[in-house]
Amino acid sequence: MVITAIALGIFSMLLAMGIMNGMNNQMVENTIKTSLGHVAIHYDGFHNDMKLKYSFRPKPGIMKAVKDNQYVKHFTKRVKFEAMIRSSEASQGVMIMGIEPENEKKVSSIYQYTLKKEGSSFLESPDSDEILISATMADKLDLLVGDRLVVMFQDMNKELVGNAFTVKGLFETPISSFDKYVVYTGINTLQKMAGIGNKISEISIITGNKEEVDKAAGQMRNELSGKKLEILTWKDMAPSLVRSVALFDTMMYVFFAIIFITVIFSIANTLIMAIMERFHEIGVMKSIGTRPSWIGGMVMFEAVNLGLVGLAAGIVMAILVISLLGATGIDLGFYAESMRMWGTGTVIYPSLKTMDFVVSALIVFANTIIAAIYPAVKAARIKPLDALHYV
Amino acid sequence: MAIIQTSQLYKDYATNGVTVKALRGIDLTIDRGEFSALAGPSGSGKTTLLNIIGGLDHPTNGQVTVNDILLNDQSAKELARIRLNRIGFIFQAYNLIPVLTALENVEYILLLQGVEKEERYSRSSEILKEVGLGNELNRRPQELSGGQQQRVAVARAIVSQPDIVLADEPTANLDQETGAMLLDMMHDLNREKGITFLFSTHDQMVMERAERLLHLVDGQVSDDEWKTKKKTQKKTK
Repeated sequence: MVITAIALGIFSMLLAMGIMNGMNNQMVENTIKTSLGHVAIHYDGFHNDMKLKYSFRPKPGIMKAVKDNQYVKHFTKRVKFEAMIRSSEASQGVMIMGIEPENEKKVSSIYQYTLKKEGSSFLESPDSDEILISATMADKLDLLVGDRLVVMFQDMNKELVGNAFTVKGLFETPISSFDKYVVYTGINTLQKMAGIGNKISEISIITGNKEEVDKAAGQMRNELSGKKLEILTWKDMAPSLVRSVALFDTMMYVFFAIIFITVIFSIANTLIMAIMERFHEIGVMKSIGTRPSWIGGMVMFEAVNLGLVGLAAGIVMAILVISLLGATGIDLGFYAESMRMWGTGTVIYPSLKTMDFVVSALIVFANTIIAAIYPAVKAARIKPLDALHYV
Repeated sequence: MAIIQTSQLYKDYATNGVTVKALRGIDLTIDRGEFSALAGPSGSGKTTLLNIIGGLDHPTNGQVTVNDILLNDQSAKELARIRLNRIGFIFQAYNLIPVLTALENVEYILLLQGVEKEERYSRSSEILKEVGLGNELNRRPQELSGGQQQRVAVARAIVSQPDIVLADEPTANLDQETGAMLLDMMHDLNREKGITFLFSTHDQMVMERAERLLHLVDGQVSDDEWKTKKKTQKKTK
């Protein structure tokens, strides 16, 4: 019973941890891959006020600092600002992004998210005067691939400019808020419309992995210091995402607390039952001279042994199940809208880090000790005479 | 030289609001090396007296001294230490630890005393051979007869070389022949090792073999009879 309770406790804990890790990772990865990148270089002030006036020229010195950075894997230039799009049915405010299609494929996943059916396809060139919109937006504006829409915005001279674009393709990302707000066209087309020459809004960068982000950003900050640029990591650009991850972590700890309060009572209850079964035996042991502390220690020792076996069983179960689910994923398609709101995608791939095992093992071990204290004290206080008369 | 002394020992039990007076002012002195028995009808206070002398129970009033140690003042931990080192117990129902073998049951006492493994084994196996169980070392209690189990209990009681062995109705669950054999063995241990034995009993055979017979009636010593030449006195209340 104790072993089962501990094994199920640690299994539940690790599974929950794995799922939460998977959701957090996917939420972060999806946000990075959809729009943010790992690091972005902007003109100073752009992040807080995404206006055309904060465009900057990608001078050779800047591009060299990016290209020569050992941690930079891929990068792309973008122009982005707020605009209005209008179909024959409706209009809405959007963030329009001018992109270099070939480089964008390497930096973001928008190419993968572009639907490859019913004529929908990705942009082909920076000069493209076609537009990519989300399937959600197409529904709202009642547009199909090949339909025309009008993009309007204020150019550098605060003149209202507009142009008609053909819908080249539709995309669907795991983040519903992104789909409701962002559209793509060729970077050169947008630069011409906005009258900003070859100026850009940002250079979006992907590093080898998330652990290299701070090193890459730090190195570029050093090399580009003195220039009026802001070099931001994904954490700087998405503080709400960081807070969401922290919120998930907090929820996880609350969940663990609930699991382990249950486990503590289960272990304590089972140990007390085990003591009652051996009540007479403990009485005999005490009557022939066993010290109370020895009896208490014996119960603790037993609990620790049971804890270790339960721990091992729980970890093995968790590794097997999480390895399987990590490969197949957990399809939460029936919660698709909620999952897209969180930006996690509908299939969660649980994952665990070594530290997760260490933390959960320590927590379970501590819980086992705590759970054993009361039964141990109770056993130590058994009166030998009462126990000898108990059969 | 007194090894056990009780002075005005009283024990009351409250059961369902009714107070039962189990002991009513017992004054008793047992000298080192005695082979004595407490006799009397059920409810006369024999087991209660034995339990108090063994530190398993506390008196309501009065004092009990074992080997010059006043038990009244001792903590549970200290009483456990006294039981471990000074007193051996033999129970009517044997009370061996069922998951341990005969050898392990005897070794357990030495383990508590911190005796090294090899010495534990040699002393325990030797004492089990002395009580005639040299071939049953690795049998668990349920694999032994009642007489064999009680002999393991005797071995467990004496392996630590205690000053006193307290035996509560040790022959009650044994047949006549086994009981006689066990009593002979305990008497030999009394004579050879100088261990003091104090029994509580109903058994006529135990009463006959005891060198001193203390009769208890209603929680009081009604008769103190010496049957050997050690002391020739007879105290009748």
